[in-house]
Amino acid sequence: MLASVRSATLLGVEGRPVRVEVHVSSGLPGFTVVGLPDTTCREARDRVRAALLSSGLAWPNARVTVNLAPPGLRKVGAGLDLAIAVGLLAASEQVPLGSLAGRAFVGELGLDGSLRSVPGVLPLIDALVEGEVVVPRASTVEAQLVGRHVVRPVATLAAVAGALAGRSPWPDPPGPVEPPAPPPGPDLAEVRGQPAARYALEVAAAGGHHLLLVGPPGAGKTMLARRLPGLLPDLAPDEALEATCIHSAAGLPLPPGGLIRRPPFRAPHHGASAVSLVGGGSHTMQPGEVSLAHRGVLFLDELGEFEPAVLDNLRQPLEEGVIRVARAAAKVAFPARLLLVGAMNPCPCGEGTAPGACRCTPTARARYARRLSGPLVDRFDLRVEVGRPDVAELLSGGSGEPTAQVAGRVAAARGQASARGVAANAQLPAWRLDDVAPLDADATRLVERTLRAGRLTGRGLGGVRRVARTIADLAGDDGDLSAAHLSAALALRAEPAFLDGRAA
Amino acid sequence: MTPGAALPPAAYATALASLPGMGPARLTAVLAVEPPEAAWHHVAEGRGWSDPAVVRALGQRAATLVPAWQAAAPGIDPAQVWHRVVAAGVGVAVAGSPAFPPALVGDVEPPAVVFHRGAPEAISGPRVAVVGTRRCSSTGAGVAFELGRDLAAAGVAVVSGLASGIDGAAHRGALAAGGAPPIGVVATGLDVVYPAGQHELWRTVTDAGVMLSEAPLGTKPERWRFPARNRIIAALADVVVVVESHRRGGSLHTVDEADRRGRDVMAVPGSVRSAASAGTNALLAEGRAPVCSVDDVLVALGLAGRSAAGGGPSRDRRATPHGADQPVLDAVGWQPSTLDQLLARTGLSLGVLALALDRLCDAGWLARRGGWYERIAASGQQASVR
Repeated sequence: MLASVRSATLLGVEGRPVRVEVHVSSGLPGFTVVGLPDTTCREARDRVRAALLSSGLAWPNARVTVNLAPPGLRKVGAGLDLAIAVGLLAASEQVPLGSLAGRAFVGELGLDGSLRSVPGVLPLIDALVEGEVVVPRASTVEAQLVGRHVVRPVATLAAVAGALAGRSPWPDPPGPVEPPAPPPGPDLAEVRGQPAARYALEVAAAGGHHLLLVGPPGAGKTMLARRLPGLLPDLAPDEALEATCIHSAAGLPLPPGGLIRRPPFRAPHHGASAVSLVGGGSHTMQPGEVSLAHRGVLFLDELGEFEPAVLDNLRQPLEEGVIRVARAAAKVAFPARLLLVGAMNPCPCGEGTAPGACRCTPTARARYARRLSGPLVDRFDLRVEVGRPDVAELLSGGSGEPTAQVAGRVAAARGQASARGVAANAQLPAWRLDDVAPLDADATRLVERTLRAGRLTGRGLGGVRRVARTIADLAGDDGDLSAAHLSAALALRAEPAFLDGRAA
Repeated sequence: MTPGAALPPAAYATALASLPGMGPARLTAVLAVEPPEAAWHHVAEGRGWSDPAVVRALGQRAATLVPAWQAAAPGIDPAQVWHRVVAAGVGVAVAGSPAFPPALVGDVEPPAVVFHRGAPEAISGPRVAVVGTRRCSSTGAGVAFELGRDLAAAGVAVVSGLASGIDGAAHRGALAAGGAPPIGVVATGLDVVYPAGQHELWRTVTDAGVMLSEAPLGTKPERWRFPARNRIIAALADVVVVVESHRRGGSLHTVDEADRRGRDVMAVPGSVRSAASAGTNALLAEGRAPVCSVDDVLVALGLAGRSAAGGGPSRDRRATPHGADQPVLDAVGWQPSTLDQLLARTGLSLGVLALALDRLCDAGWLARRGGWYERIAASGQQASVR
């Protein structure tokens, strides 16, 4: 007897449909899985056998061959367990063959016959065209996000067999849970003083410009960066689904409502390897931190401590919003459109911001500067020196504007950007700048002077104009860019002191 | 140079100076016992030394140094060494020879041999050492530049170490004035520019004045050579002015050397908040004389009234700041300030403040370094801090 069951496997952050064919025939009893299963997948045999037996179902004492089609695609993980078990039941005539039509099955089996959730349920279900999907009960919310299927959440293999055989009805899905309001993130009002850095956060949030914070330890760089996601607007439905797919595929816990509605914030440690940052792995093809931060904020603290080669991997995703990882097994494109925030000390001793305060040797400073490649620094259109706040500011300074108020201006500015057809001004292509960010006469003179003085390169000019556009949007000025807008954009693009003379 | 031709004693002295571990103290002791040529053969044959002064100079390393010298000697051909010196246009003066700079004769710890390039006769008139930290503020670099410029204009030669920071700024000032010739004293061979990137300054100082070193050609920067160099700076100067120094810095070593020789030490006062002025302020607290303008130094030299700078600070050629810019300039004050601090102090919006800062930078009132703004003291000073 032959049974064919629909399921799916993960490739990167996307699901790929898989047909599980189970053939049961007379012959020497045995069990073979073919069709590029990985180790976890091959071990399905032992889980399926134990699950069948503990569920009171029969294990066919016959020759069983399981083929996972298409055979060229590597199947990963235990998500095919349920499909194999159901195929076996159908092929051994324990459930009718007809009950498999129009249904797909995703889930891992426990030895006791229980159904467990697997990473990536959302992209897996998204890849299926069948009208009805059977999933572990724990994955209900995630499976329902796709919205195209009738979702059948089931807790055990016995219940699946019962429902397929018509002995019992499908269990009712759990009642819809009202997603609780996400806990409020840290508020900008807690930051005292530091008006320039606060303003840079606002500009970064409004225009999607990458931000580099340079300052001594204890200046509050991390505190500032953690308040950036709060300024960003909620994710649009399609963006939320993209982000949720990636987090689901990486096996990260999803928020109670299932959907990631707030921009994610990722802060990998500076010991991160290239693979953990950009994604990959020999054949599992896991998304990296840049993809987990898709539609959100990637915060790299101690930027100078990251391996330079690892950091240079960021250049492509920062430019294209996507990271292409090629391995022998497969080539995968992970989405990676993110807002990068870097924080670093100005030099190894950390005191090098104030002229004359640094204790480092020139060699040590030069070595530190070399850790950050020029092209990467170029990606940061906002570079702000963050000083330690004055004692007086810490003790007596009033609290600043709260996040909600700033987020309102950010949303308004983003509205203007979307009227130009982009999500944020940072994505304005160079050829449209003359059209959407024209300079008035004073501004033109200022740009000429700055270029001539060598403070700005031609490439840097584009970034400055985008930032100036955002600054004007935030102020509600929709005419030509004035000298004040450009001058402010230039002031927020300080050439890091440690780069001594390397062009901005 | 034909083989067998007689070599001058300076050739053997140079060869001796090229031996590993042959510092000024040992070379002086060895040359006091035997003339250079004899000393060279003594070393090459690996004979030990019995003279008590040499034994003291060799110290505990005598057992290893004598064989090390003997091992190194075959690799150093005095004729070749001499040829290299001559080809490089470098002068060699052995202590006791007429070419030896008179200012160093009779010093408590004179160099045994001095290599010079440029015009050694520049070491004649009044001389002031302007020294300080490499990691200076741009205020400090500005003061050093002005001192160098005004001293040179008043006919006082500026002695300094050509390091980055204060030293370099002082010499740039002296060169800008085109007055008394600058005197550079370096710790490496005269053909080894250190720190890298000072080529232009080395060349212009050589052209306008003189460069000195007690290290033979090809000597790489070694840690012990910098304090040794500082003692020559102190020995050459009539007055030592420290512009900026951290609490513990090489410039304070120059001060110690100046004290050993009874030279006057003066210091430029700095902000109590500036780490780069901690050492100089400590010097003032010890009772050293403060330098607030070039006149203070000229008075100490007994040259009062010679200030050729004329009007001095009153002759500011910069355009008076725009009415709205004056409060911004006042907000910067005399401390390096960040954009954050300036926004808080002025209460202006970023656009308005940034424009004012741009105008002040363009007019030469402010300097921008990274995200910091610093006030520039006087017109015409665009000294690079690096």
